[in-house]
Amino acid sequence: MPDGELLLEVRCEEIPARMLEPAIRQLASRLFEDLLACKLSPAEVQTGFTPRRLMVLLKGLPEREPDRSETKMGPPVAAAFDKAGEPTAAASGFAKKCGLEVEDLERVETEKGEYVAAEHKIEGRPTIEVLSQIVPRILGDLDWAKTMRWGSGDGPWVRPVHSLVALFGGEVVPCELFGVAAGNTTSGHPVLSPQEFEVKSGADYRRKMARRGIEVRFEARKKKLLEKMSEAADGLGGELVKDAALLDKLASICGIPGVIVGRFDATFLTLPREVLITSLRDHQSAFTLESDGKLLSCFLTVMDRPDDPAGRVQAGNEWVVEARLADAKFFYEEDKKSSLADRRVGLDQLIFHARLGSYADKTARITELSEVLCQALGWDKEQEPVIQAAKLLKLDLTTEMVKEFTSLQGVMGGIYAREEGLTEPVWQAIYDQYLPASTDDPIPRSPEGQLTAIADRVDTLVGIFGLGLIPTGSRDPFGLRRAAQAVVRILLEGKLPIDLDLVAAQAVLLYGDRLKKSGEEILTSLRPFFHDRVRYLLGLEGYDYDSIEAALAVGSSNLPDLRLRVDALHRARQESDFLAVVLAAKRIANIIKEAPEQTFREDLLKEEAEKKLYQASHQLRTEIEGAEAAGDYELGFRKIAEFADVLDEFFVKVLVMDENRDLRFNRIALLQSIHRTISRAARLTEIVVDKAELRGRNTEMQVD
Amino acid sequence: MSKEMKSFQELILGLSEFWAEQGCVLQQPYDLEVGAGTMHPDTFLRSLGPEPWNVAYVQPSRRPADARYGENPFRLGKHYQFQVILKPAPKDVQRLYINSLEALGIDLKVHDLRFEEDNWEAPTLGAWGVGWQVMLDGMEITQFTYFQQAGGMDLEPISVELTYGLERITMFLSLSRSVYDIDWVPGGVDYGQVRHQDELEFSRYYFELADVDFLKTQFDGFERESQKCLEAGVVLPAYEFALKCSHAFNVLDSRGAVSVTERVELIKRVRNLAVGCAEAFVESREQLGFPLLEQGAPRHA
Repeated sequence: MPDGELLLEVRCEEIPARMLEPAIRQLASRLFEDLLACKLSPAEVQTGFTPRRLMVLLKGLPEREPDRSETKMGPPVAAAFDKAGEPTAAASGFAKKCGLEVEDLERVETEKGEYVAAEHKIEGRPTIEVLSQIVPRILGDLDWAKTMRWGSGDGPWVRPVHSLVALFGGEVVPCELFGVAAGNTTSGHPVLSPQEFEVKSGADYRRKMARRGIEVRFEARKKKLLEKMSEAADGLGGELVKDAALLDKLASICGIPGVIVGRFDATFLTLPREVLITSLRDHQSAFTLESDGKLLSCFLTVMDRPDDPAGRVQAGNEWVVEARLADAKFFYEEDKKSSLADRRVGLDQLIFHARLGSYADKTARITELSEVLCQALGWDKEQEPVIQAAKLLKLDLTTEMVKEFTSLQGVMGGIYAREEGLTEPVWQAIYDQYLPASTDDPIPRSPEGQLTAIADRVDTLVGIFGLGLIPTGSRDPFGLRRAAQAVVRILLEGKLPIDLDLVAAQAVLLYGDRLKKSGEEILTSLRPFFHDRVRYLLGLEGYDYDSIEAALAVGSSNLPDLRLRVDALHRARQESDFLAVVLAAKRIANIIKEAPEQTFREDLLKEEAEKKLYQASHQLRTEIEGAEAAGDYELGFRKIAEFADVLDEFFVKVLVMDENRDLRFNRIALLQSIHRTISRAARLTEIVVDKAELRGRNTEMQVD
Repeated sequence: MSKEMKSFQELILGLSEFWAEQGCVLQQPYDLEVGAGTMHPDTFLRSLGPEPWNVAYVQPSRRPADARYGENPFRLGKHYQFQVILKPAPKDVQRLYINSLEALGIDLKVHDLRFEEDNWEAPTLGAWGVGWQVMLDGMEITQFTYFQQAGGMDLEPISVELTYGLERITMFLSLSRSVYDIDWVPGGVDYGQVRHQDELEFSRYYFELADVDFLKTQFDGFERESQKCLEAGVVLPAYEFALKCSHAFNVLDSRGAVSVTERVELIKRVRNLAVGCAEAFVESREQLGFPLLEQGAPRHA
């Protein structure tokens, strides 16, 4: 084994597929960090895993920690030596404690005077000794989503541990994990190659695993698997229906990346594409194949073995798939016996929430709320498909197919609606209603679908908030954060100028007396909840948090408009003269903050500078209104920036707090009016001014 | 390697013989309606406390809601589980399990055997465990569980439970399209001939005939009887009445007579009985001085 190489392998019973990747990542990074803390940094880190093992290979580790020295402080020189310069008991005591002679002590100058000190050499420990301490601790402390105990109380860990290979430079690192002593033996596949064997090094380990068909490196195994599957797909005249998560899963559940090709009866191809794909994926972890957008009557999945010599693996998988598809076909045919509209009775029986009523109740609310949304957009005849979709939206929850495959909710209703011959806007709205379910998902493709999706989620949010069940910390059992985020994304990306406050207020009314909280309480807690999603989503796009705050502070009733304002502010603040605007706004805000609203009278303007300011502010308002009407907020901000000079001049030449009460109030009134003018698109005082930026600005102005 | 067994009774014989050889007590089914082999007192109660225990038995398991009038080729209102408990779980239990499959004549060198995460929880028993569903060529054939808690109590030592789905394994090995077609006797009487009438008639009872008021009265009565036994310090009868409550609940459920809130309530009542029995059982064994601790249960070679 090469010097400085650490080979670590824990072999255990099958670790759940979903936990493998996070575990190996954590193991490698903690090992790396802890070694680094001992000044032992590896030149290379490799990792790997199969369901039954976690492996880390570190190369280029030093043989031992570097030596280091420490200065130990003793008594002051004045106390360590008497007048004759002879060492006192304090000196000899300190020397003895350090294992040195008095002559070896040094003198160190400090703030408090001269002290006696001892240079203490600490010899670096051999790396193998360091490893024997950190390896079992890191392994034992890995975070798992769920742990267990075994035997007579061993654990907790993810699954029982069987062996531990820990070799440093070819030598066993003395340590143990849950009573299993580290050694140099491991074993292969539990059925095909269960005999134990010795390993000498990382290269030897890989070679011996490869001889048993096992690829421990995850990425390499995934690549091999994908190659084999693509090759098999080619042979069948099709290509894989892409599914990155499924590929990850398949690569995680095997050590030997074997591929099974299975076929099923072509009559199952009459099932909707989504159903076939979902059934094969959810039940059999199998890929479907397609050619020219049409599914083929075959599937591909993985087996943890290289081949299928008796054809049993293929026959078994085909048998299970046929049974599953027969089930799916049965559900599909049963479902088609009644139309979606006929399913209304079933919704009464389906509880949305014990306090909030059934899905029939929810459907009634969603329908009315959809109407409110249409009105908000000024839709008239266009609202017909929205209302129709809203009424049918939840009916697929009563279908056998959705009971079997929850992930097909919405999609299934959409398919049944399409097959019933309902119009495209209607079936698509039903189909897309749960979009976006994750950050990668698009929003519903049509405005009709966007509106019903919003109505559904606002209804849920208001209902659950209305029961006082506001998500806290990581607890969010109703998925309210995701729901609110979806609403915000749909409004932003769909460019829908809809006031969420108004919609939520309507949603409260529709609940009648079912809610525990008052409408005001609900809106007060819901508003910041939505704002947090806005902050998060716009933050993801790279906008500074203070730009978002500034825009939010003047109103969020129209999110597409809010986004325009944030974007304009973001661009305007890149300009060098923008700082002056912010400083001026802060100064104005500071002067008027306590003052009651005053009435402005033009005839009370006295100084030239204030007359000039008044003229300029008048013009500014006209310009900003013009720019806003054209949707050009950036122009508005630029106009404000140009205005900063006049304002500066005013502050230099005019004293706002004049002794004359009328003059004073009139100037405050002028500033109040200017404040309103420049705060239309964003509250500029929210912008955080960098201290350095401020110092860099050559100005006499004071910022409060 | 012996020939692959393909009939229901060969499977029962093969597994019984294998696990008896490993030193298990070859127990018989519990003579009450239960939903799973786990509810047999020789699993639920014996997994509690420090005493070692190894047992194997077949348990007919009733799931009224799964009954399908004998028409669905896969679903049954009553199916048979082969249940094994090893306490403490031996270190090589996976190996033993693999050997048990080979003892059935399954040549694992030509099959794909995988362990997929599947954790088990029984709210009515206050019990949960961690483990897998064992997949053979993509088909689930066994539940493999390390018990962690039962009756709301942490377990030590840990028991392992192996639950073989006998119908599934037989169907799979014979690649049958219907459970009713599998051989019960090799080349003789089939599963349908033995069980079809049972499935049909019990489906009618569960879904059409069961008297809801009668069952609810029964549930209340069984509960009182169980509590009375617990107070008198007789654990096994108390547990038996808890099981009767559980079955009454299952029938009510299949009848569609249990609302969502009622459901939570009834489960809680059964759970309370089970937890009471679990605590009382450990106490009663303690009073006896945990006799099996000394004697030691027979272990596999």
